[in-house]
Amino acid sequence: MAVLSLREKDARFGWKLVLPTVILISLLILYPVFYNIYLSFFEVSISDTPNKFVGLQNYKEILFDSSFWKSFGITILFTLTTVIGSILVGLGVALLMNREFPGRNIVRALILLPYVTPLIAIVFAWKYIFLPIDGPLMQFLANFGMNPGNDFVNNPNNAFWVVSIFNIWRNFPFVYLMLLSRLQSIPSDYYEAAEIDGASDWQKFLYITLPELYFVIASVALLRGIWNFYKFDEVYLMSKFANTLPIYIYEKAFSGIPEQGIAAAIATILFIIMISLIGLYVKKVLKW
Amino acid sequence: MVKRKNPLKIFGFWLSIIILVIFITYPFVWMVSVSFRHDTDAFEPGIIPKRPTLDTYAILLGFKKSLREELSNEQQQLLEIIKTLPKEQQEAVLAQIEAQRKKESFPFLRFFRNSLVLAGLSALVSLILSVFGAYAFSRIDFKGRGTIQRGVLIVYLFGGTILAVPLYQIFVKIGLTSSGLSSAFALFVIYIVQTIPVSLYMLGNYFRTIPRSIEEAAIIDGSTRMGVITKIIIPLSLPAIITVYIYAFMIAWNEFLFASIFVRPFPEFYTLPLGLNEIFNSEHAIWAKMMAASVVTAVPVVVMFMMMEKYLTGGLTAGGVKE
Repeated sequence: MAVLSLREKDARFGWKLVLPTVILISLLILYPVFYNIYLSFFEVSISDTPNKFVGLQNYKEILFDSSFWKSFGITILFTLTTVIGSILVGLGVALLMNREFPGRNIVRALILLPYVTPLIAIVFAWKYIFLPIDGPLMQFLANFGMNPGNDFVNNPNNAFWVVSIFNIWRNFPFVYLMLLSRLQSIPSDYYEAAEIDGASDWQKFLYITLPELYFVIASVALLRGIWNFYKFDEVYLMSKFANTLPIYIYEKAFSGIPEQGIAAAIATILFIIMISLIGLYVKKVLKW
Repeated sequence: MVKRKNPLKIFGFWLSIIILVIFITYPFVWMVSVSFRHDTDAFEPGIIPKRPTLDTYAILLGFKKSLREELSNEQQQLLEIIKTLPKEQQEAVLAQIEAQRKKESFPFLRFFRNSLVLAGLSALVSLILSVFGAYAFSRIDFKGRGTIQRGVLIVYLFGGTILAVPLYQIFVKIGLTSSGLSSAFALFVIYIVQTIPVSLYMLGNYFRTIPRSIEEAAIIDGSTRMGVITKIIIPLSLPAIITVYIYAFMIAWNEFLFASIFVRPFPEFYTLPLGLNEIFNSEHAIWAKMMAASVVTAVPVVVMFMMMEKYLTGGLTAGGVKE
């Protein structure tokens, strides 16, 4: 066997270093994604009996199920609301924090709290403030004529809104972080030049800040869109009545009489929609 | 930028800051406030507790026995009463009391320990694999590097929702869901894979900022690549490595979906999110305890995060985004 050149030796070493990672990801992420598609054509058994091939039956069942379409609509609405909401709040806060003011460091540390605090801890705090009658937020809102007896969290009609506001509250710091670091890199002479030309604050924002932020906003919207479309834990722990698709999948697969074939089919549909939306978005908005 | 001192604008600015701070801290303030109360005072109005107490914390952390445990001489008295019953019936009654007490206990420390072990170990393994992987990505040329790098990033697109059913089926098939320990092991492996992409990305970005010349000098002096990694790269990037570890730890500490799928049948192995959620859904009027548990769950993570915040610049921020 010929002596390996230094370069080849290096390359082999490189492969050895990444091999464990590649194996783990292939086994536990790539393979499951395809296995999921495979399972979606079966009636998946939860006992020892083998799975039964049913062709497109699972898909048919889903597409004629009105509760699927309802959750589908809710999921789209949830994604749109939370992405737009967290970007608006994140942008506003980033603009505020882009100025020097006494106490800025403290406020900056506080802003990260919703994002870094473990989910399970803040979920209970939110449930507490929203409790009907006794919850402090409900009592506070009663001053403005709202009925404190409303149970927002456990009412399927408006659980959606609580979950959306919660998601915006939890995730706007992420948007803020991304936008702030971009804001700080905009050269100040842009603004000075605009001021000499007599631009108003609003015009400066519209013609300098916003265009400079375009790509960060677009990328953040993509990431948040993907994550919120799939979002399970934040929604499920906050309210089981928000009825988004990930919850629908979970309930089908792991509660009552499990119908994992159907769950797999829904996951596949979700996956295909996601991939196509991402493709479209990357082409049209990010123009890659 | 506030050059022109327009009082109205300054007022508006400070008003926005105040509203922002209230918006952020409102739930936290209540969480902390209620955690210093007795369970019975949980809904007493006003943010400052009228009868503040550390009892809930003491009970939670095992420094103090809960009221229920203190009342356990109740058992003695019961034994007296049921003495006349046949032995079998005596045992049945006692078992029932035991079960009742178990249901009402709050095994917070156990959840905490399980989460600590699981998140600590999986983040550690993920970190070790990522240090090597990220080094290969940032320094070594080999065939297929670009493909693998992109592949790892694409993993971002596969949320747990898509993977839940197939992963469950796979682990059932290889028999890893039959006992608590093996289910916990399944979680451990899943957490490693869930955290690797972020870790790889963050570390890779950091390693690229270390000048190559240092390594080249070492290699000329006869060091191996492995020696370079352990003697140069790791010491030089210690802050980044610690940051990445904390990030991976947080992801595993937070995870709920897979924990609820794999260890739900085995209460001995509940993690914090799963355990607290189960307790919350099974009992009532324990708000003070839930809030104290929330505070204790949050504090370690928040403190760690605040300590590493200064390192969260540039590439690290960009990479630290996986949820």
